[in-house]
Amino acid sequence: MDLVLNRADYVQVGVTSQKTMKLLPASRHRATQKVVIGDNDGVVMCFGMKKGETVTVFKTLPGLKIERLELGGVLNTPQEKIFVAAGSEIRGFTKRGKQFLSFETNLTESIKAMHISGSDLFLSANYIYNHYCDCKDQHYYLSGDKINDVICLPVERVPRITPVLACQDRVLRVLQGSDVMYEIEIPGPPTVLELYNGNGGNSGEDILFGTSDGKLGLIQITASKPIHKWEIRNEKKRGGVLCIDSFDIVGDGVKDLLVGRDDGIVEVYSFDNANEPVLRYDQVLSESVTFIQGGCVGKDGYDEIVVATYSGWVTGLTTEPIHKESGPGEEVKINQEMQNKISSLRSELEHLQCKVLQERENYQKSSQSSKAKSAVPSFSINDKFTLNKDDASYSLVLEVQTAIDNVLIQSDVPIDLLDVDKNSAVVSFSSCDSESNDNFVLATYRCQANTTRLELKIRSIEGQYGTLQAYVTPRIQPKSCQVRQYQIKPLSLHQRTHFIDHGRPMNTLTLTGQFSFAEVHSWVVFCLPEVPEKPPAGECVTFYFQNTFLDTQLESVYRKGEGVFKSDNISTISILKDVLSKEATKRKINLNISYEINEVSVKHTLKLIHPKLEYQLLLAKKVQLIDALKELQVHEGNTNFLIPEYRCILEEADHLQEEYKKQPAHLERLYGMITDLFIDKFKFKGTNVKTKVPLLLEILDSYDQNALIAFFDAA
Amino acid sequence: MLLPVFTLKLRHKISPRMVAIGRYDGTHPCLAAATQAGKVFIHNPHTRSQHFSAPRVLQSPLESDVSLLNINQAVSCLTAGVLNPELGYDTLLVGTQTNLLAYDVYNNSDLFYREVTDGANAIVLGTLGDISSPLAIIGGNCALQGFDHEGNDLFWTVTGDNVHSLALCDFDGDGKKELLVGSEDFDIRVFKEDEIVAEMTETEIITSLCPMYGSRFGYALSNGTVGVYDKTARYWRIKSKNHAMSIHAFDLNSDGVCELITGWSNGKVDARSDRTGEVIFKDNFPAAIAGVVEGDYRMDGQVQLVCCSVDGEIRGYLPGTAEMRGNLMDTSVEQDLIRELSQKKQHLLLELRNYEENAKAESSSPLSEADGHRGIIPANTKLHTALSVNLGNENQAAHVELRVSTSNDTIIRAVLIFAEGIFIGESHVVHPSIHNLSSSIRVPITPPKDVPVDLHLKAFVGYRSSTQFHVFELTRQLPRFSMYALTSPAPASEPVSYVNFIIAERAHRVVVWLSQNFLLLEDTAIQNAPFQVCFTSLRNGGQLCIKVKPSGEITINTDDIDLAGDVIQSMASFFAIEDLQVEADFPVYFEELRKVLVKVDEYHSVHQKLSADMADNSNLIRSLLVRAEDARLMRDMKTMKRRYMELYDLNKDLLNEYKIRCNNHTELLGNLKAVNQAIQRAGRLRVGKPKNQVITACRDAIRSNNINTLFRIMRVGTASS
Repeated sequence: MDLVLNRADYVQVGVTSQKTMKLLPASRHRATQKVVIGDNDGVVMCFGMKKGETVTVFKTLPGLKIERLELGGVLNTPQEKIFVAAGSEIRGFTKRGKQFLSFETNLTESIKAMHISGSDLFLSANYIYNHYCDCKDQHYYLSGDKINDVICLPVERVPRITPVLACQDRVLRVLQGSDVMYEIEIPGPPTVLELYNGNGGNSGEDILFGTSDGKLGLIQITASKPIHKWEIRNEKKRGGVLCIDSFDIVGDGVKDLLVGRDDGIVEVYSFDNANEPVLRYDQVLSESVTFIQGGCVGKDGYDEIVVATYSGWVTGLTTEPIHKESGPGEEVKINQEMQNKISSLRSELEHLQCKVLQERENYQKSSQSSKAKSAVPSFSINDKFTLNKDDASYSLVLEVQTAIDNVLIQSDVPIDLLDVDKNSAVVSFSSCDSESNDNFVLATYRCQANTTRLELKIRSIEGQYGTLQAYVTPRIQPKSCQVRQYQIKPLSLHQRTHFIDHGRPMNTLTLTGQFSFAEVHSWVVFCLPEVPEKPPAGECVTFYFQNTFLDTQLESVYRKGEGVFKSDNISTISILKDVLSKEATKRKINLNISYEINEVSVKHTLKLIHPKLEYQLLLAKKVQLIDALKELQVHEGNTNFLIPEYRCILEEADHLQEEYKKQPAHLERLYGMITDLFIDKFKFKGTNVKTKVPLLLEILDSYDQNALIAFFDAA
Repeated sequence: MLLPVFTLKLRHKISPRMVAIGRYDGTHPCLAAATQAGKVFIHNPHTRSQHFSAPRVLQSPLESDVSLLNINQAVSCLTAGVLNPELGYDTLLVGTQTNLLAYDVYNNSDLFYREVTDGANAIVLGTLGDISSPLAIIGGNCALQGFDHEGNDLFWTVTGDNVHSLALCDFDGDGKKELLVGSEDFDIRVFKEDEIVAEMTETEIITSLCPMYGSRFGYALSNGTVGVYDKTARYWRIKSKNHAMSIHAFDLNSDGVCELITGWSNGKVDARSDRTGEVIFKDNFPAAIAGVVEGDYRMDGQVQLVCCSVDGEIRGYLPGTAEMRGNLMDTSVEQDLIRELSQKKQHLLLELRNYEENAKAESSSPLSEADGHRGIIPANTKLHTALSVNLGNENQAAHVELRVSTSNDTIIRAVLIFAEGIFIGESHVVHPSIHNLSSSIRVPITPPKDVPVDLHLKAFVGYRSSTQFHVFELTRQLPRFSMYALTSPAPASEPVSYVNFIIAERAHRVVVWLSQNFLLLEDTAIQNAPFQVCFTSLRNGGQLCIKVKPSGEITINTDDIDLAGDVIQSMASFFAIEDLQVEADFPVYFEELRKVLVKVDEYHSVHQKLSADMADNSNLIRSLLVRAEDARLMRDMKTMKRRYMELYDLNKDLLNEYKIRCNNHTELLGNLKAVNQAIQRAGRLRVGKPKNQVITACRDAIRSNNINTLFRIMRVGTASS
């Protein structure tokens, strides 16, 4: 059976954050439910739908940005008390809108995540986790990296209190009291945690997680160890997961998995006989989906998926058919409802338009006076700058609550801006002739009407570091723009990992000197992505990294007065050495840098590169042949006369071409890295081999692994 | 939702823009398209049994209902239609860089096969003006040629640059068709037979043109723009990051008016309303679109829109029925309308909130450091712009300088200029480093062509530490001749070349024209006639002198014939002159042209000689092959080997010769283009009737190979003294 869902927009509120909407429990099965939503202006609004019209139950006054909204209540009764987190305060409302609780937590940071279970309240700010019971502080934990979400296994089913923290460093931390019971490594930075089936599954210990790189997974948290149940890899390169819910929308008695992503995709997964998830349905909305829940809002008896989007739209994807078959009269009525809605909207607009015109005039007048000031309207930008592991490139996503007019991208480091198919914006690269102005890239993206989201792909080069700036101008009057800055770090293609292969030949760089732990940490933050800004607790810290392009690794161990960096790639060590000595000189700190180079490592790195290079060369060769072979095919009519290899190419032609298109300039990047490796190897020996680079490129042109290794040894 | 009524997947690639549907036997519509390896395929789904067995046509080995036509050369344009009304069926026309073939598919015979030296980049079939028989009009290197069904050359004229697109459209509403020509110099020209009646300058190469209805036509540019013109006025245009591969007019929503259907390079097909450009229908193909045509492909009496992708996928769409009320998209109209209105409401609310916040900020304390960070600036901040000519220094070439400055201590973080045709992309950005921020920015501009350009400026104004900026938007026009700097006093020697003519305008009107089209200094006071102004080109330092006498006689001295033409055309449109005859002399340019003409002759004779050689060699091959095979049959392996060695050598020679011929051909084309351009330039020095007379006379002179007459025409405008 095909799942057909029709889209119905209910209401638009202010910009929403992740997990700030809920459906209140229904009085009976399949009766309409009320929606409660909090936005960035601090307004909590509760509404229901009656005959296609929104009926507001209550609406609070604006205040601090609402970060989370959860439902709670006495255990084993309907959970219909509304709790919101704003700033460092928790407020509680009844379903009629009466405030019954205001709890100032005294946290120094504002609350980022919240979970409620009976009288237990689990809160987390950026790095701090707190557990309150009846508003009394119970437990506390300081995390090493940012906490994105917090959840607790259902206390009514699991006899212990087991909070789980989703931390940015790709780890789920399972707590017991104030201590970590164990850590679970997952494949991406987790953004959301949710109880499986809404109650933790059969055991009550199953939790679902979603990551910012679009992966989903199910883990059972037992008392002693985690059990990985399944994982959905993000094959289609969709956006990061922002919200998950379990709801039987298909109607087969098994709860399906509803997923909302930050590129506006809503997905429904059903479970097959082996309990593995299978994608059943997907729909693309134009902006990030901040919340998703199954229920019934629009009309009695029709299940639907209710989603909230970044700019505050509450939309239902309903099983209710648009065109009723119950007779011609009904249809007219529906149209009547629509017409009423439209005409009321129109009159409202007219009214607003007058008001705006008046205000505009006032604003113009004020520009005559010499004392008056003109403030820029602030608008919120939802941005994400992440490294993609698959093609070792960064993706920058900019999302604004209203339509974007244009975006100016400026960079003081050489980077490549790649085209993204999804974008409809017209790109124009401007010349950056004057070197005094530190511009390497100047590009404008002129967006088409109604574009609220822009995605860019950026390819950086390791060793070249600086800042990328995006000036975003929305289409709103008075016109203004906001700058966002993104750091391109020296080792920009490295990614945190949990374990490395200690058997590889390693080069070592050792720093000693009079520097504090905070200082050496700040250098590591400066050089490498995905390291928390705050120095972690403890005296000595170890981080592992992996180069997403070459799969070489880096181990960094540092403490007060000493830092040791080990990598199997000489280039990595060379970049670190250059950057660190530059930074230390800048801050006038006396550093002793010593290094130990392992000759074998070069050969090892070349061997790591070899399969990639060989694959790319072969691919390039095959793709080159496709057109000619196709022509032969047309000429001769069949391909029986061709050797099997060529026939194979013809059969796989589409696939090959796609593969080739996916990795533009891959070969050039590999060549660049081999050249760097070559130069760096001899730099440590104190010889400059730049003159031999053309010779190296010649060897690469007619690539042979042994010849290349020989050249590296001989030169 | 409009769904395709049929979908076919042919296993042949389709070359972009080279698709046509024709009834080659008078009844069955067949699709003809150019494919790889210099072939044209004809897809005939109606008569499966029919097999061709001729040297030119062969059955496709991949598809049973596709036959292949061997052209043996890269096809550069293709169309089908009625060329000979007496035949009663359509003719297939295939153009290459050197030839035009009119092919009778049904009888498998050539109607004609003509050599066209200027190449055929574009082709259109139909009746033009008063010429009675249908013409196949091809556009090549600066030249347009029209052939009737016997291959007679009935129409010939020149245009400004290489032709990229052609269309026939009743431009002036007289019931007769005019020819629209889109060329590489970004111009759309309208020919009423061989007279140019209108010229529209666009911002990029015009890749496609299509008639809509009446005087309305659609166009597409190579930078992703598509739009609609009504006569000389542009109705609307949109720009996409993809490229429009093919455009076609078709009434998809059955409202009696054709929509503009565009096939894009990313595989999208969309239909846009001819009035507003609003999308009323879209569909996606997995590969780029190669062509959009129409025809009754199912033979059920209804005409379908047929879209083909480069991968050989073909989809046909029937126009929407009346019940659909023009609603071809899958979402309901009301929902969309509500969404749109709500969005508008949200937008207005936001704007209102902005003003409220602004009022709040205003009532608070005077300007402080924190305000600067938030981007609060004095409300009376104004942005000034000034255009001037900068003569440059050793580091920087001479350029036009745009100075943007604020009226107080606020700084300009960056300036974005959106303008078409003068930058590499569509925009230019000046983003000074954080250390060099100031309240004024100088932007060097060097427009490559003498056209007036609108500069749309966006300046980000704030303070040094701001993370939010005010955006000031304004538009400045760059005058047509901004790249010419006034030189005073006048230089001692002025260019020898000149154009001389008389206009019935007072001198001060000429001054007005000057100040609108040049960047003059503000204090340049020009006295009454007679006067003389001199300019220096910032591009190459060439001189331009304009002398005005009280009698209305104007002399323009410049060695650049293009510039002289631009000046005259600009004056003519400013003073609304309909006809203007001039006297001109460009000795340097004429001398060059003379050399070019000599070269053209040389290349022609070389070409003939090479062709003869080739014929000899191919005879030689035949005999060598026969002798080698004879030797093989005689089992005389030694001789056979020798013969084959000889054959191999000969083959190598042939290849070399081919290369020589290619070079010769490109040289020839280049020179022919120069000749065509010279005629065009000579025309541009005149306006109205004299212009057409010059073009026709020049053409006759070239035909009769009378070089001296040619130069005489270029000088005085007529052949007879």
